[in-house]
Amino acid sequence: MVSKKLTVKNESGLHARPAGILAQAAMKCNSDVWILIGDKKVQVKSILNLMAAGIKCGTEIELQCEGESEAEDLKGLVELIESGLGE
Amino acid sequence: MVEIRVDKTASRGIAIAPAYLYQEPDLTPDHYVVDKDQIEQEEERFGEVKRAVLAELEQLAQENSIFAAHLAIADDFTLQEGVLGRIRSGEKNVQQAIAETVEEVAAIFGQMDDEYMRERKADVLDIGKRFLIKCKNIKVQDLAAIQEPVIVVARDLFPSDTVKMNPKYVKGILTQEGGVTSHVSIMAKNYGIPALTGVTGILEKVQNGNRICMDAKSGKIVVEPEESVLAEYKKLLEEEVKEQENIRKYRFMEPVTSEGKRISLCVNVGNTEEIKLALDKNIDGVGLFRTEFLYMENSHFPTEEEQFVVYKEAANLCPKEVTIRTLDIGGDKSLPYYEFDPEENPFLGWRAIRISLDMPELFKTQLRAILRASVFGHIRIMFPMMISLKELAQAKAITEECKEELRREGIPFDENIETGMMMETPASVLLAEEFAKEADFFSIGTNDLTQYILAVDRGNKKIASRYDPFHPAVLKAIEMIIQAGHKYNRKVGMCGELAGDVNAVHKLLQLGLDEFSMSAGNVDYVRKAVIDEAQR
Repeated sequence: MVSKKLTVKNESGLHARPAGILAQAAMKCNSDVWILIGDKKVQVKSILNLMAAGIKCGTEIELQCEGESEAEDLKGLVELIESGLGE
Repeated sequence: MVEIRVDKTASRGIAIAPAYLYQEPDLTPDHYVVDKDQIEQEEERFGEVKRAVLAELEQLAQENSIFAAHLAIADDFTLQEGVLGRIRSGEKNVQQAIAETVEEVAAIFGQMDDEYMRERKADVLDIGKRFLIKCKNIKVQDLAAIQEPVIVVARDLFPSDTVKMNPKYVKGILTQEGGVTSHVSIMAKNYGIPALTGVTGILEKVQNGNRICMDAKSGKIVVEPEESVLAEYKKLLEEEVKEQENIRKYRFMEPVTSEGKRISLCVNVGNTEEIKLALDKNIDGVGLFRTEFLYMENSHFPTEEEQFVVYKEAANLCPKEVTIRTLDIGGDKSLPYYEFDPEENPFLGWRAIRISLDMPELFKTQLRAILRASVFGHIRIMFPMMISLKELAQAKAITEECKEELRREGIPFDENIETGMMMETPASVLLAEEFAKEADFFSIGTNDLTQYILAVDRGNKKIASRYDPFHPAVLKAIEMIIQAGHKYNRKVGMCGELAGDVNAVHKLLQLGLDEFSMSAGNVDYVRKAVIDEAQR
């Protein structure tokens, strides 16, 4: 399992559009993908779970990948989040 | 044969046509039980439905990015697991499983503390509807597909429905809900479609395809008429067509009074479609462009660019004159994306210019859009609900600020743009002379003026008979406004219902009104009344 800590930079947090982009990218990964916020563990492959987590701008999250291609998957998703998820 | 009577007319006229029953689909899940050996089949049923929904949303997503998010939600893992889990338990059929899962997810969103997220509940419910419609194999009715004459019968119609209707085929409208000032009424009047609203029980009394005769002027509806009654209505319809032909002869005659004064005849509209429909009435302009619909039929406060496009189109369509009224909204109308605090007395509450002045950024967005559009025609800015000179000064100062910004940004606008005001509060009447010095023009809003002067709520059925724009106090107020305006050479118009009432033309001409602005359907009648008056 690999993980990395990040800060969400999207102005209105992970609302529908960025959450959708992230969930879709996660679905293409072979690994299981999770976001940890505080003591919550959120399944990233589900846009509903992501949105329901209510992740706001400036929130520190930990992105976790577990699976054969975990290193590669983590790298790709971190880049995507840091690039602002299409915003 | 069934006869129904209604006491209030939304839009007059005769119509004879078969009923087109427009019903919201019943999405209650069916209650069939799934046997153990059919569970797999039921799971597969969900798979089929999901594929169909995704295909539909993919199409929509190409036109509107909102649906891209819907697409992701519909394809969601949690949603799918929720539905399949319920089916596998053997206790729910696919429809029940979808309904329950969607409700559960929607509830999570509904409880969130972030307003934006709370509103996503509507998205989830909307997607749930799509699934159930496909599951139940419901054919969704499409008002745009109507291609033969019908009378539309519905519980209520929303702007998104009416915009799809082709006035060529929709001969009449009957709704169970809604009042004479509702959206349906305004729309029907503009398109000249006979309409009756608040027809209690109409949905039970009419079946799809039933022949209906209606006389909206006298509030009569006959379902499956006898031959003799049908013949009577056919005769009435013929007479109406003749009357309309007769009235059309006046269309290109100048509305000039016996003293030789040219009267302006304008229309009130809520969107650019209505301007297009009004153009063949030989109008002198748009006396009232309501901007509320831009805000109400939206998922967010309309941006400057979104508004600019609409105002520019309006100016292009009607280059003579378009008077744009800034946002006139309050606690009685709600916005899907902004929560107004409940008020005991919304008509005396936080509304119209009061909101604009308290939320200057919102106001500036609208003013900048109007100013930018002003180079494409002849636009005038009108402020609603004014009660004090201070408010007018503030509104004008913010307008000046916007002009200064545009100058700095090198964006062109009409430097001579006029800023005027609605005259609809008792305070504005009493201060009419002071206001006349500062405002470039007046437009009398008789609907609100009448209710404020008489202290009569126009929506209250119990006192409806006391709501009277011909009350001497209201006429006196109109006289004071016109005289004050004329003292300072201001053009005085009227954009309330009274301006479109042929019975008021004589009195209003006598008082010196310069401009009559009304629903497009009334223009021909008022023109004829003005011309007849001059020849008396």
